Amino acid sequence: MGNKQTIFTDEQLDAYQDCTFFTRKEILRLHGRYHELAPHLVPMDYTNDPDVKIPLALIVNMPELKENPFRDRIVESFSEDGHGNLSFNDFVDMFSVLSEMAPRELKAIYAFKIYDFNVDNYICKEDLEKTLNKLTKEELTPEEVNLVCEKAIEEADLDGDNKLSFADFENMISRAPDFLSTFHIRI
Amino acid sequence: MAASQIMEMTSSEDEDQDLIELEAIRRPYRAVKFDLTHANQEDLEAQRYHEPKHTNALYRNSWSSSTQRVLSSMPSRSIRFNQSTALSRSTKMRRRRPLSIVSTAHCATDQDVFRGQEDCDDDVTQNEDLLNKLQGLSAGECVRVLREMSLTVSEKRQIRAWVVCWDAGQPLSANRALCCHQFKSFISFLKVLCGGCYSRVSQQKSIKLWQGVLKNISAHFGTGILSYFIFLRRLLHYNILLFLITGLFLVLPQISNPPSSKNKPAATADLWMFTGMGILTDSVMFYGHYANSTNGNCKAEMKLCPENYNIPLAYIFTIGAGMFITCVMLVYRISKSFGRSFRTFKTTSNLALKVFCSWDFKVSKKRSVKLQSGNICIQLKEMLSELSCKKQKRNLYSTFGWLSLHFLVWSICLLCIAACMLAVYYLHPYIDQGSSKVNSFQKAVGLLKLPLVMSCVSHLLPGFFDMLSRVEHYDSPRTQVYVSIARNLLLKGCIFSVLCYQWLKKISGRKNEQNKQQCWETLVGQELYRLVLMDLLIAMSYIILAEFLWGLCIRNITLRKRKLEFDIARDVLELIYSQTLVWFGVLFSPLLPAVQIGKLFLLFYLKKTSLMMNFQPPRKHWKATQMNALFTKLLFFPSFAGALAFVIYTMWRVRPSSDCGPFSNLRSMLLLGKRWIRGLGRSNPSFVWLSWAYNNLVDNPLFLFTLVGLFLAIIYIHMQVLDGQKMIISRLQKQIDNEGEDKKFLIAKVQALNEASAQQ
Repeated sequence: MGNKQTIFTDEQLDAYQDCTFFTRKEILRLHGRYHELAPHLVPMDYTNDPDVKIPLALIVNMPELKENPFRDRIVESFSEDGHGNLSFNDFVDMFSVLSEMAPRELKAIYAFKIYDFNVDNYICKEDLEKTLNKLTKEELTPEEVNLVCEKAIEEADLDGDNKLSFADFENMISRAPDFLSTFHIRI
Repeated sequence: MAASQIMEMTSSEDEDQDLIELEAIRRPYRAVKFDLTHANQEDLEAQRYHEPKHTNALYRNSWSSSTQRVLSSMPSRSIRFNQSTALSRSTKMRRRRPLSIVSTAHCATDQDVFRGQEDCDDDVTQNEDLLNKLQGLSAGECVRVLREMSLTVSEKRQIRAWVVCWDAGQPLSANRALCCHQFKSFISFLKVLCGGCYSRVSQQKSIKLWQGVLKNISAHFGTGILSYFIFLRRLLHYNILLFLITGLFLVLPQISNPPSSKNKPAATADLWMFTGMGILTDSVMFYGHYANSTNGNCKAEMKLCPENYNIPLAYIFTIGAGMFITCVMLVYRISKSFGRSFRTFKTTSNLALKVFCSWDFKVSKKRSVKLQSGNICIQLKEMLSELSCKKQKRNLYSTFGWLSLHFLVWSICLLCIAACMLAVYYLHPYIDQGSSKVNSFQKAVGLLKLPLVMSCVSHLLPGFFDMLSRVEHYDSPRTQVYVSIARNLLLKGCIFSVLCYQWLKKISGRKNEQNKQQCWETLVGQELYRLVLMDLLIAMSYIILAEFLWGLCIRNITLRKRKLEFDIARDVLELIYSQTLVWFGVLFSPLLPAVQIGKLFLLFYLKKTSLMMNFQPPRKHWKATQMNALFTKLLFFPSFAGALAFVIYTMWRVRPSSDCGPFSNLRSMLLLGKRWIRGLGRSNPSFVWLSWAYNNLVDNPLFLFTLVGLFLAIIYIHMQVLDGQKMIISRLQKQIDNEGEDKKFLIAKVQALNEASAQQ
């Protein structure tokens, strides 16, 4: 690469390239996007790995996430503290998993975390109800929501505990080839 | 066993029947519901579920606290087990049973799948295990495993730093850079051409063409319509590659070394750009212009001397290489898409999939998001209503009516196709009868009649077929899409095969005639050129008339300001058809890929503008992955395969015309290649092995038969392996069901024991 940039050292860019599905150019572009979310907070010089986190409220204003009904859960699932404050590592991680090169297994893990609203490592009926309400913007009647949740759990639950564990979820996702193309955000 | 009944039913054809019977059987087994606690007692309240409808008196849903303690400490319920299995998967030790990992890794490392968990005591040993696993892999594999691990980027960077330190101070990227540097730079050059086709393997990815535009389209319209534009971009890459190969190795040498001017003056013709006549006839555009042989005047400095370039040989090799590379790329893409869209079982869990997999995360505009929510809502309501009401059994009368309706629509379609075939047959211009009676403009118009009719038919008739198919009622929208694709393909295939038949007749008819003034190759090339251009013109006028003007009318007339719906299948088939024309024509007109490049650029921008102005986001869910797989397969067969067969047949069997083009004194084009290889051994001693290899391997039918037999045997083995794996999967699924039953049984027994001991 010919251009001299002082945002990251070469070693850092190599590390990012090996740990995510992005190339150097894309990582630099991502840093630009991260910086413009909070210019006063994010330094331009990342060579000494500053510990900067952008709060949830600023991240969900990104055009890619703004209208997404699951935006809060997406950002929370990728944050280390669980409250949605993303460091640059988490930011890159989020878009790397949501890129088109991430494999199905990795996407399934994070999709499971996103849909698990109460963070108990199961998708129980309440989680499903919340998912449904966010999907349909509460246009379904409560009886319909109830029926859909019961049927969905019946279909997907393999071991009969009326909740979806990660194994159940992954088994169901493996039957949907579309999952790879829909669980994808372009940045 | 009920589980086996479930498995047999999932492979049957009738999906609705599956659902109803599945419910009937699974319901009794849903009677067991057990609560799990973590640490808090309050969680119990949050986890009360509704009473099951068919409660078996043996089971209940409230367990004693001792039972609950046992349940919550089950290893499969703990997060650690999930992590270990996920980790074992990603480190490619797939054949190892996960239980062995569990027994050695009871506690998590700091690599937590679910964040916010505390570290465990024996972190260090688990870290060492992981690092040992990573050490055993090559650098590329290591990177792949690292990327696919479900850890945070900061943790991955730490692991990477440890691996690097372990590796005696050499960074991973330096290791990779050292080996095969030149090979990799060649690969990256190819990737620049292909615009990121092989992005998973690449180190340096080129800037993708139209990235921002595609993002905007997907934000408004979603994945389905995006797939059309991605397909268009992919075709552009194939054409750029073909153009570069033919341009660099064929056109450029020919331009730099023009043949001695022939006695015929340059003919003028009206509308030469559209008909390909006139100035273009004797240009690098068409076959006839290319030199017959090398000019042997240049003696010294063999390499720099352009006149020593063997144009006929270059012709064969560039066309052959171009087709071969395109074939390899298509097969690679098919294998990739096949891997993504393959499903072992027919899915019955439609509702759960609809809830979890139908939201398109790419859509980011407010209005489109609202529409998408509305669509999903409607689809869920439809699915619920389908589940609640029983499927109506068709009686004989309605079956007869349904069949006769289908028969009627199919016969109308087939009649239309037959009419088009006749039209193409009779409209075919007899160019060799061209005399100077008609003036050149009328001659040009006469030449353009056939392409005009063909393009109009291929653009408009599928729309007519779609209108007809609205009368038919199909069981599922997928069947409707497949039937419309089949009819469309049949139409295009039939009229194109009539055209091919006309050409072959003309070619063979020419053998008997003595009148050999014209190059049949240039004529065929010109016809294909006219077809390609006319296709572009008709597509442009269709967009302007049927999309812009009609869309304007619809928007202003209807009260709800509805917009048009994008028909993805039809437009993709149009692209496949136009690409077929280019592949057929590249032998006779080496610059045709360049024309196609210009056409695709124009089409992209027109379609994009039209999409933004006149179309609404789709109402139905478009199964993008499966449809993409289907269209890639259609692009390969029959489109590319047909073109390849045609090119091979022409090169091998058909006698080139004797007074124009590079092969004018040969019986067939491939003969030159044969002669050259045979002569290579004699002229240049270091290439004797190549000549020997050709004579005894390529030209030897026995060897080819053996090779084909071996290939078929390998395919058969793979098919059997696949069948075996399907059987393993179904057995494993039965095993899962059985173990679920066992678990329920044991839990009930534990509860019974606890109650018995509590009573004592």
